[in-house]
Amino acid sequence: MTVPRKPAPAQPFRLPHGGAIDRSQPLRFRFDGCDHDGFAGDTLASALLANGVHLVGRSFKYHRPRGIVAAGAEEPNALVQLDTGARTEPNVRATTIELYDGLVAASQNRWPSLRLDAGALASAVSRLLPAGFYYKTFMWPASPRGWRFYEHWIRRAAGLGVGASASDPGRYAHRHAHCDVLVVGAGPAGLAAARAAAASGARVIVCDEEREPGGRLRGVAGASVDGTSAPAWLAAVGRELAAHPQVTMLARTTAFGYYDHNLVGLVERCPGAASEHLRERVWHVRARRVVLATGAHERPIAYAGNDLPGTLLAGAARAYVERFAVRPGRRAVVFTNNDTAHAAALVLHAAGVEIAAIVDVRPDTALVGHWPGQARAARLPILAGSVVEQARGRLHVRGVDVASRDSGARCAITCDLVCVSGGWNPAVHLHSQARGTLRYDDALATFVPAAAAQAVASAGAANGCDGLAAALAEGHAAGLAAAAALDLVAVTPPPAPAATVATTGPLEACWSIPARSRGAPSFVDWQNDVTTADVALAVREGYTSVEHLKRYTTLGMGTDQGKTANVVGLALLAQLLNRPVQSIGTTTFRPPYTPVTLGAVAGHEAGPFLEPTRRSALHDWHAAHGARFVTAGLWLRPHSYPRPGETPDDAANREARNVRTNAGIVDVSTLGKIELQGRDVATLLDRVYVNRFDNLAVGRCRYGLMLRDDGIVQDDGTVSRIAPTHYLVTTTTVNAVRVMQQLEYLIQVEWPELDVYATSVTEQWCAAALSGPKSRAILARIVDIDVASAAVPFLAITRCTVNTPAGAVPARLLRVSYSGELAFELHVPADQGPAMWEAVLAAGEDLGIMAYGTEAMSTLRIEKGHIVVGAEADGRTTADDLGMGKLVNAGKWCIGKPLLSREALVAPDRWQLVGLTADEPAVPIPRGAKLVADPDRAAPNPMLGHVTSWCWSPNLDAWIALALLDNGRARHGTTLWAVSPLADARVRVRVGPPAFVDPDGERLRG
Amino acid sequence: MADATNPRPAGAVGIPGAPGVTLGPVGIASAWNVQGAGAAALAPALFGTRLPTEANTLSSGPVTALWLGPASWLLVTGAAPLHSFEARRDTLNDAGGALFDVSASRVAFVLHGPRAQEVLAAGCPLDFDPRVFGPGCCAQSVYDRVNALYANVGGAPAAIVVMVARSFGRDVWHGLCTAASEFGYDVGPARPWPGMLVR
Repeated sequence: MTVPRKPAPAQPFRLPHGGAIDRSQPLRFRFDGCDHDGFAGDTLASALLANGVHLVGRSFKYHRPRGIVAAGAEEPNALVQLDTGARTEPNVRATTIELYDGLVAASQNRWPSLRLDAGALASAVSRLLPAGFYYKTFMWPASPRGWRFYEHWIRRAAGLGVGASASDPGRYAHRHAHCDVLVVGAGPAGLAAARAAAASGARVIVCDEEREPGGRLRGVAGASVDGTSAPAWLAAVGRELAAHPQVTMLARTTAFGYYDHNLVGLVERCPGAASEHLRERVWHVRARRVVLATGAHERPIAYAGNDLPGTLLAGAARAYVERFAVRPGRRAVVFTNNDTAHAAALVLHAAGVEIAAIVDVRPDTALVGHWPGQARAARLPILAGSVVEQARGRLHVRGVDVASRDSGARCAITCDLVCVSGGWNPAVHLHSQARGTLRYDDALATFVPAAAAQAVASAGAANGCDGLAAALAEGHAAGLAAAAALDLVAVTPPPAPAATVATTGPLEACWSIPARSRGAPSFVDWQNDVTTADVALAVREGYTSVEHLKRYTTLGMGTDQGKTANVVGLALLAQLLNRPVQSIGTTTFRPPYTPVTLGAVAGHEAGPFLEPTRRSALHDWHAAHGARFVTAGLWLRPHSYPRPGETPDDAANREARNVRTNAGIVDVSTLGKIELQGRDVATLLDRVYVNRFDNLAVGRCRYGLMLRDDGIVQDDGTVSRIAPTHYLVTTTTVNAVRVMQQLEYLIQVEWPELDVYATSVTEQWCAAALSGPKSRAILARIVDIDVASAAVPFLAITRCTVNTPAGAVPARLLRVSYSGELAFELHVPADQGPAMWEAVLAAGEDLGIMAYGTEAMSTLRIEKGHIVVGAEADGRTTADDLGMGKLVNAGKWCIGKPLLSREALVAPDRWQLVGLTADEPAVPIPRGAKLVADPDRAAPNPMLGHVTSWCWSPNLDAWIALALLDNGRARHGTTLWAVSPLADARVRVRVGPPAFVDPDGERLRG
Repeated sequence: MADATNPRPAGAVGIPGAPGVTLGPVGIASAWNVQGAGAAALAPALFGTRLPTEANTLSSGPVTALWLGPASWLLVTGAAPLHSFEARRDTLNDAGGALFDVSASRVAFVLHGPRAQEVLAAGCPLDFDPRVFGPGCCAQSVYDRVNALYANVGGAPAAIVVMVARSFGRDVWHGLCTAASEFGYDVGPARPWPGMLVR
């Protein structure tokens, strides 16, 4: 359904002609609850200006009214809250938001309204709130509670936008890309570079943050390139590159980070409003060469009241006229120290903006360039050798006070627009992120790229180059050079694009105009409300390094990272210290160039895909049979299989009881499995495990314990000898990768002379453990071999075939037990796992078999006193602590053994593994409990140990636990208290040996 | 095979028009990991195939041999399983080498179509440009964060096979489909490991 469109309200500041906008596509948008109209091709900022809206926000600290300053990514002020609900995004620069129909945006950091903001009281007392004020002011009372109280209100007052609380319905993606030459920026220099590189045969990617190429040349009808008008040349080159099979053009794409090995991160904004739409894509571009044609940012001059809405950078004011057909005001004062603002004044003049004055700090004799000459010819009033001392106005600039530098004569000029230009700063961010160095250029009064540190070159305004003709030539040369560096040379190199050269006069460095009286503050950093006085204060207080200045005053912080502010701040610091700017240096440039949303960083790796999930071959069976899953590393494992009316814990207790009475089957596919082959496997195993393996016979398997170099238990598992030179090693689920990596390291680096080969077969085998007194009877029904104890004794491994409805499945049969019951493990190729699993369950149905999950498995092993790596073997325990000291073979060396005799590892007060039983069986032993002798003793109460694993034992009808206890083996038979101050719980426990069920192992050998 | 990867039913998904890419599961009958410096000399007699010595290439025949490392290869067949594992293992063990049966370890998917490269580029940092990763190339990398083995098995435009550990199969399949939905995709039927389509 389409709502009939109301007649478009006038856009009173829209010019009748011109601009790179599509007047056939009117768009309606809402800002702070007011509907406005704009056109396709507008940014939110240009559409607001077209409607006469300058006031768009309140400043961060003083809540001063702020307007639109720039026309691009350098905008410090015009940060808005874009969209609402789940898709809302705070602190977005209005100058970079492409207008779309139905756009909703709101100003930030104001209450109750933008025009009447209570926080503006801060501005009235701004003299009391200098840089670092809260470090000094809120230190009393000297308690953390005091700071917490203040912090709440400070954060509230100094807020920016509000993050979304609902989940973002939009999609995000990542893309990797490779190219010979990456060109960042599609202005004149970038386009020339891309064309030259592509003509040389290079694979080229060109990215630009705007929706179409052209950079500052867009909409400049007065310029011409290669004999055609600039817009026509841009359109032709844009088409040519887009059609080139070797060139990828990425519009709306910001290069935000430059990393090692010429890896450049780009973020592409994808237009469209559908909620499921792909919103942003991060590109990881690996480029052999990079050309940075990132342009330059104009910098302001600080004077009192220079932050009033209606104050624009001169180049931005020009861009609004030429690119968007918007008059940013009616009567303008242009304040400059260089020629480019004269060109801007001429454009404004031609658009019908009255130029009240061009206030140029340079003397008349310095105004020798082309554009001042044109301004004179157009009879624009030029006040040479003069400065703007102060701007007046409340919510908008109403006039300025101008003073002559020579005579001191002053005059007041009425205006509603001030266009400022203090010169241009090359956008050296990516060059610097790539660790390139910078050089202070006195003629440009700014930092320009010096030595590059990676395969990268800067071209055009990004390299400090002045004027269109030079930018085109430099870009062209950079493109050819980048290709030539890769041995790509065009047979007939294309000619460089040509443009008319305009002479320019010298720029005169000018940073700040001293205030005549205690008037309005003069701002260096608009976004962070840092004034010239703050910089001076920082210097007085000794913060004379640029990095200290930044941290003390917040100069150059925030979402704009001081794109307009930094050079001015550094120059002021240099002046105050009476040192050259070069010696002051800059703060460190770090990614991102402009803010990147967290959604883009995450890509599609969010929600259930936050990290990859590993599923066993039996996953679908588990899910179909009501499994409640838990994660184990990246694996999903069944916790238990609750039946209707059962809690997961009820189910686990039922399953655990059933294993000891009938039989159960558990999926143990996740255990690490490594196969080893070669003549020297036994030698390797003897070096890796504490116990002996050189005497392990074919067809037998053995428990093994592995130490770290420092003697602490690392992992455990079984080792089986499948054939004379073929072994199977199992590891714990969590350590599978680590053990495999260690074995590969040992084989390749430490002992390459051993004839041993290893491969991980964790994924090859689906493994199920069948446990319980009836397990042998069940197994006998489906395998093709005799499984009596004589044929398959405890710790045997053999091959067999499992008969399933789907056919015979080849299997490895291991007689091992973790539950302490008579048990077998069946390993079958993973794709045949479900057939094996279902065959076992079918065969045992009449014998009461049940599947059991990890919770029951844990209960069974606690009852049996079997350790788990991570709980009992917690990275501090030795084999002896765990009651396995006898496993350590005295007759051989192994990893970790030399350090086992360290004093600390043989001390008499080491914590040893014990079993605990609750004195009152029904009282739960608290999770993570500490063991103490007297729970009522005042703190510090000496801790004798702690609980490592605990469970309700359905087979003993009591709460039991495993614990590490100071000299624990000597305390069997005593009672202690398990206390948990967190849970405010205490339980009397009896200490005993860790095995609660069948301590002599009669069941598992049965 | 399909159980581990759970591909969606066949048919066009995503934007209307011709699919940008066709995805489908690939059946692996046998996958054996051969290791050891002594293996290369024995391979033609043992397996009827040459083991490639150039890094990141594969050699084709009834058995495809993919280079995994300086002395490690993966032998793959699609239709007919390999036999006599133990005898061949013992031969290699005697000669200073090893043979591991990992036939069920990996699942594989094949991508072909004009946008296949871009679908792979959504999750893998390798350069799949045909001039860099042409027919007969293989390489180990990641898809999203999962280890993956890629092979260009030829065809025009080239078909690329992605092999990942079985337990990650469903996640990688989801990742491939998510990336492919931007271009529209078809799910092809399961088919056996293709060997080289064009050589």
